[in-house]
Amino acid sequence: MDFLSYLQEAGAKRGPSGHEDEISAWLAERFRPLCDQVDIDPMFNVIAVKKATKTGKKPVPRVLLCAHQDEIALMVSDILPDGTLRMGQVGGVDPRILPASTVTVHGTGKPGEMNKLTGIIGAMPPHLLDEAERKQNYKREDLFVDLGLPVEKVRSLVNIGDLITLHGEAVELLNRRAAGKTMDDRACVGILLDIAERMQGMAHEADLYFACTSQEEVGSRGARAAAYTVDPHMAVVLDVSHAPIPQSKPDSTIPLDAPAASYGPFVQHRLLDRLKATAARHGVKLNTEHAEGATHTDADNVQIAREGVPCVLLSLPLKYMHTTVELLDMNAMAECGRLIAHFLAELTQGWEDELWN
Amino acid sequence: MFDLIKELVNVYGPSGHESAVADKVEELLSGKVDSFRTDALGNLICEKKGTNPKGKRVMLSAHMDHIGFVVVAVEKEGFLRVMPVGGINLAVSKTRHITFGNGIQGVLVQQPVREGENPVMKHMFVDIGAQDEAEALSMVSLGDTAVYSNDCFRLGKHRVAAPAMDDRVACALLVAVIQELGECENTVIAVFSAQEEVGCRGAKTAAFSTEPDMGIALDVTSHGDTPENKLPAVKLGEGAAVKIMDQGSISHPGLVKALLAAGQRAGVKTQREVLPFGGTDAMAMQQTKGGMPVGTVSIPCRYVHSACEVIDLRDVEGAKALVLEYLRSLV
Amino acid sequence: MELKTLCELKGISGREEPVRRAVYAACAEKLGKDSVSIDKMGNVIATKPGRDPSCPHVMLSAHMDEVGLMVISATEEGLLKVRSIGGIDPRVLVSKRVRVGYDEPVCQGKPDKKSIPGVIGAMAIHQQSPEDRKNVLPIEQLYVDIGAKDQAEASALAPAGTPVTFDTPYRDFGEGLALSKALDDRVGVYNLLRLLDGDFAGKTSFVFTCQEEVGCRGAIGAAFRLMPDIGIALEGTTANDAGDIQTTQQICRVGGGVAVSFMDNASLAQPELFRGMLALAQEKGISHQVKMSVSGGNEGGFIQRTGSGVKTCVLSVPCRYIHSPASVCALGDVQAQYLLAKAFLEDARLLSQLANKEGQR
Repeated sequence: MDFLSYLQEAGAKRGPSGHEDEISAWLAERFRPLCDQVDIDPMFNVIAVKKATKTGKKPVPRVLLCAHQDEIALMVSDILPDGTLRMGQVGGVDPRILPASTVTVHGTGKPGEMNKLTGIIGAMPPHLLDEAERKQNYKREDLFVDLGLPVEKVRSLVNIGDLITLHGEAVELLNRRAAGKTMDDRACVGILLDIAERMQGMAHEADLYFACTSQEEVGSRGARAAAYTVDPHMAVVLDVSHAPIPQSKPDSTIPLDAPAASYGPFVQHRLLDRLKATAARHGVKLNTEHAEGATHTDADNVQIAREGVPCVLLSLPLKYMHTTVELLDMNAMAECGRLIAHFLAELTQGWEDELWN
Repeated sequence: MFDLIKELVNVYGPSGHESAVADKVEELLSGKVDSFRTDALGNLICEKKGTNPKGKRVMLSAHMDHIGFVVVAVEKEGFLRVMPVGGINLAVSKTRHITFGNGIQGVLVQQPVREGENPVMKHMFVDIGAQDEAEALSMVSLGDTAVYSNDCFRLGKHRVAAPAMDDRVACALLVAVIQELGECENTVIAVFSAQEEVGCRGAKTAAFSTEPDMGIALDVTSHGDTPENKLPAVKLGEGAAVKIMDQGSISHPGLVKALLAAGQRAGVKTQREVLPFGGTDAMAMQQTKGGMPVGTVSIPCRYVHSACEVIDLRDVEGAKALVLEYLRSLV
Repeated sequence: MELKTLCELKGISGREEPVRRAVYAACAEKLGKDSVSIDKMGNVIATKPGRDPSCPHVMLSAHMDEVGLMVISATEEGLLKVRSIGGIDPRVLVSKRVRVGYDEPVCQGKPDKKSIPGVIGAMAIHQQSPEDRKNVLPIEQLYVDIGAKDQAEASALAPAGTPVTFDTPYRDFGEGLALSKALDDRVGVYNLLRLLDGDFAGKTSFVFTCQEEVGCRGAIGAAFRLMPDIGIALEGTTANDAGDIQTTQQICRVGGGVAVSFMDNASLAQPELFRGMLALAQEKGISHQVKMSVSGGNEGGFIQRTGSGVKTCVLSVPCRYIHSPASVCALGDVQAQYLLAKAFLEDARLLSQLANKEGQR
């Protein structure tokens, strides 16, 4: 799969948490040729089903594969008397990245059309701040979006509650690395697509449910509903995790060049053993990552859907998370896809018998 | 509307002990709905069937409970130790008149009172006039609950203050909507929910059992129109607020649009609300089963979670017109 | 099964296999294999159909898991880095003995494994600066020493993910007390196993849950599968009654009987159920107390909000020094929890009253 062009296209689609209409429609079309059925549910989850190619066992097990499609963003929370905009946030935006950023304000003021307005995030200039103030980071409350328009015009184009998205098209760096906005977690959605592509040529005994989930950044709300709908026997959750930079704390990162599997109470340990064995068999480098409690991914809610779902959690390492220059290794994406494809193909009869003894 | 609000705010009902409110609502809606039901959490679920079999099932939720206190221990001298039920603000609770479910009166105190000192729950106690532990235990038991005492009054021309305005004003709104709805194509499930203040617990099970197509929470929201408070951009008297998002839920964009349009057709003012904190029953409904579109219609309210929560009657009337128009026009 | 045996089994959250095996075997022996199952979370569920279908379906739960540690890596010197599983105050860890890994019986052809003894060391007091003495050592600076000579040896014996449990043998203590690790919640498991022998009118499900200590995750799935009418959690809860603590801060007292909760951070007890339990204990002369605090949270809350809603109440055995290597409870309180749960299940009148309160008005 051509990950770079996928990342560039996907990153350009609007999909803040709870407002995944554009990205979900686009993703549904990407999955359609690869799957037997594709639906978008009331939460904007995209659920694409690829039926088992051979049915060794009845009932056919359902495997949920999920990665979230939503992105962090900002939202107009007030229009100030001079026409600048105050911002609220959708998901956890790091306010340090905001000053002097170019943004798109998705104005809904004119009925029936979505105006894409370019804005710049302004703040009080440093010259006017005292020394103590300059040492502090700006808080989101100190910042505003300047559209360069008179207030009447702004009021006619923009409403409170309109979305503000960040800019940052994916760019290729050395050694198959790429950086851009929304790699978290569109890169993992890309891996889902890669898996779906790979499965075209591989036999599998389980029905595969690819779910591009919504509202992960505000608490895995979409995944909870998607897992309920699918009612899977097992789930493979994909999300990003932190790759090291010089200031990283010990034991808090995973190397950039390979996927990592989480271990801890929220992950079914025998399934994890199975995944590790698959990786070893196929020469996929697989690191591990500890999660002594909540994983802060969709796995947290998927595991407790309905009667419970045994999960494995795979992480794609990423630097500079929640910025517009999230950096990853596309080889790691490909290896992650290859690993999961083999894992699914090798999920043969009796896999669940070994889980609890 | 004032009389209805007053009737409802004066009923005793902290989280987990909402049955008196449910009884009052049932009395007010008698003959107006097809069925009443309560569940294990204490919700009152009223269903009014639609005339069109293809109509939608809309759950409207207004929570009956409000914040209060629970007795956790009794001192030898007859004072009670209590802990909060829901998001009690201790700073506004000092030296407050509170009332227990069985009618016992008390004063919540912190002593010694030092200037500028923030109250701490473990240093607070309730004086119910008992002389010793035995007398106190003859008046209340461990686990008994209390709330800020009734005090509903008009403020200026259009406004009303009371404890429990959050969320009895919305209970009144929902009662008024059902009373006036008449024949409607859509099925309306009016849920007077329990235990919202401790985490939207009631709405969760109510939404599960009623399986609506969509959910709308009716609740109060914070204000940004007092001298020291500019966010959110919501003002009293400027109409019902249609929630875009809060910490607990992001309203479905399509539903937001439809609610705003309904307000416009009904000829009432509306505001858009982006709240950086808080949550309503919408969050519980949204994630029920396979998920559903949700929204919240908010009544702007000042001093939420105090003993003087202030609303504007015109906003309630506006919200009623908006919700009625939405229910009647939905196909 | 003896309380001692249960307490000495190892089973941190998510790795409950040793407890699950023992509990499953005990259930299967008492009720037959067809009445016992292991669900998708690894909970053990035993069900007795009951005689009277009009009686509400009661789910009783007790959790199999205990708090403990998990190995995440080894240092160059061969010390194991760990993280806590469940809520452990790191201040109780220094200078304690642990077992690394489980004593696996032969299964699936794997060879026998034995757990390895280890200790949690810290810098000697002589070498601490005045600042060091004040500061709490965080889990990141606590290491399990199994005597390995280097990283390779340590990692081979205790790879990342290896469970670590407290090594505290169960013993009788003082007058009528028990001292052990994992009293929370092996006391509940112990009583739940004893209740299997009862003859109850209504359908009763006995659920031995997983992962309570990391967010009651097992109970969520089990309750969803069973959709009971009533849920009773049998727990171990914090007692803060030793020393010169004010009575109003004690939460509950060891030896004061089974603690009935009106509210904790996860749920408000259903009022009729709460009052019914107290009245029943009174009537039957079962030693009991009302838990004097709104603190903690347990499976009751998660069971309560399952499906269309479940009436719940929590019955706890007070435990001192809970979530530590050595907790203390009174055997009389353990018995009281058993007696009250049993009396409740046998009280057809109270059960039908609770059933009738629901539904059409």
